[in-house]
Amino acid sequence: MEVLGLKKVSKTYRNGTVAVQEADLRIHEGQFVSFVGPSGCGKSTIFRMSAGLSSPTSGEIEILGGTPEQARRSNSISCVFQEATLLPWVSVRDNIALPLQLRKQPRKQQLEEAERVLQLVGLQDYAKALPRELSGGMKMRVSIARALVAKPRILFMDEPFGALDEITRQTLQEELLTIWQQTERMTILFVTHNAFEAVYLSNRIMVMTPRPGRISAEIPIDIPYPRGERFREHPDFSRYVSLVNESLRH
Amino acid sequence: MSALRSGSLSRLLPPIAAFVLIVGLWQLIVSQAGIPAYLLPKPSDIVEAVGSNWRSLLGSVYTTTLETILGFLFSVIGGVLGAILLASSKMIERSIYPYAIILQTIPIVAVAPIIVIWFDAGLRSIVIIAFLIGFCPMLSNTLIGLNSTDQNLKNLFHLYNASKWQTMWKLRIPAALPYIVGGLKISCSLCVIGAIVGEYVAGVGGGQGGLGYAITYAAMRIQTPYLFACGLMASLLGIAFYQLVSFLSRKLLGSWHESELRTDID
Ligand SMILES: Nc1ncnc2c1ncn2[C@@H]1O[C@H](COP(=O)(O)OP(=O)(O)OP(=O)(O)O)[C@@H](O)[C@H]1O
Ligand SMILES: [Mg+2]
Repeated sequence: MEVLGLKKVSKTYRNGTVAVQEADLRIHEGQFVSFVGPSGCGKSTIFRMSAGLSSPTSGEIEILGGTPEQARRSNSISCVFQEATLLPWVSVRDNIALPLQLRKQPRKQQLEEAERVLQLVGLQDYAKALPRELSGGMKMRVSIARALVAKPRILFMDEPFGALDEITRQTLQEELLTIWQQTERMTILFVTHNAFEAVYLSNRIMVMTPRPGRISAEIPIDIPYPRGERFREHPDFSRYVSLVNESLRH
Repeated sequence: MSALRSGSLSRLLPPIAAFVLIVGLWQLIVSQAGIPAYLLPKPSDIVEAVGSNWRSLLGSVYTTTLETILGFLFSVIGGVLGAILLASSKMIERSIYPYAIILQTIPIVAVAPIIVIWFDAGLRSIVIIAFLIGFCPMLSNTLIGLNSTDQNLKNLFHLYNASKWQTMWKLRIPAALPYIVGGLKISCSLCVIGAIVGEYVAGVGGGQGGLGYAITYAAMRIQTPYLFACGLMASLLGIAFYQLVSFLSRKLLGSWHESELRTDID
């Protein structure tokens, strides 16, 4: 089933910047799709439009058989931004429960759900901590937990690990894959600069060209999950990475 | 602990020494030069004026304090509610905010007599004058705070279908707290000034009149030492009120905001 389709989508910002030009895209349910491309090529713009946070200048976006607006109304999409974007004045647990709180779910249910995803991201001991008591990697985990608590069908992640060191980044990649596999049929769309990250995580990579932003190549990564840390040393891995880097250069 | 105490003592000592020195010099020079008390009273004259008039002085302090607190409370309530109203609709903000700015630029002394004509001399007018002075910084600070919410957090709330009121209560108002606290600190000092100016214009505000009234009265009768005592009390009142508001602000902000965290805590 197709969950996201872009047809000739273009976006021109008010200052005249053509951020995306005639992007075509079809993404199927349950995929892990990464978008790679140089800075400023319009990755975030495509994400914001697909999540309904801004609208395209022309073209059509269909998400879960409707408009981004409808998808948002039916609580089917979640986002993880580059920064953790937490409320500094409430605890980790309340930050995570926020989507449910805004839906006015009963408090008890909110807490149970928050507890469940806290365990998924391994932060059960920090439920009562405030965001400023956490490290960057832990904040990002909270942000991911908050996105998961909403039980989205599509999860948008815009360079979520961009600000983290390599070790933390790899741990979180591993955790993300585990969570994704436990969650049935959740589709993940993931933006990154990093070819290694894209190859390790996804089963499909979209390579984008800089201004005007276009999708220039599509690389399927046909390696079954769970891939495990060993995959990073596998010859296939480096082959894919050089393939991605090559497409980026064109 | 003792290291801490000696640390704060060594920080307190220089200003205390300077104070003693200046007051001592003042006493010495004025009495040696034979300057009359009605021109420049000696510190001992001021202390004497406080001692022999302490009953009426305390009464004045009480009255001014009452006016200040009332004016301040109305400023805070009016300023915050007004800002929430303005921030909840761009239309309302665009049509009303310019007038709020104009209101801020009108010198209060120019408006005060009109207030007295409309509301009669006395407590009511004085409180209104204090309110008018304290209200504007409260309004504009809160409004700036409500409008400077992080864009990513706003997107997040939008994405999770938050209603306008949910966004206001759970995001914009808490995010504006540091700005509101900034407003409280400005507004509380201004309200003290407002109350005293109000008393200049509107006279007795209850009891036997506040500090502003006592100051005009003492000036008229050239009771300069008492004038100094009243001025001193007014500054002490201002300082005490400011400290109180700062303390309450710290409580209000709780532990989350960086600006209220002491740097030596880790
Ligand atoms: N609000 C805006 N107004 C005007 N131009 C914008 C705006 N947002 C983005 N742009 C421009 O659109 C282009 C694409 O921006 P976008 O943020 O989508 O890039 P990106 O691929 O996500 O880059 P990065 O990898 O650095 O995050 C850039 O040239 C940027 O300058
Ligand atoms: Mg981006």
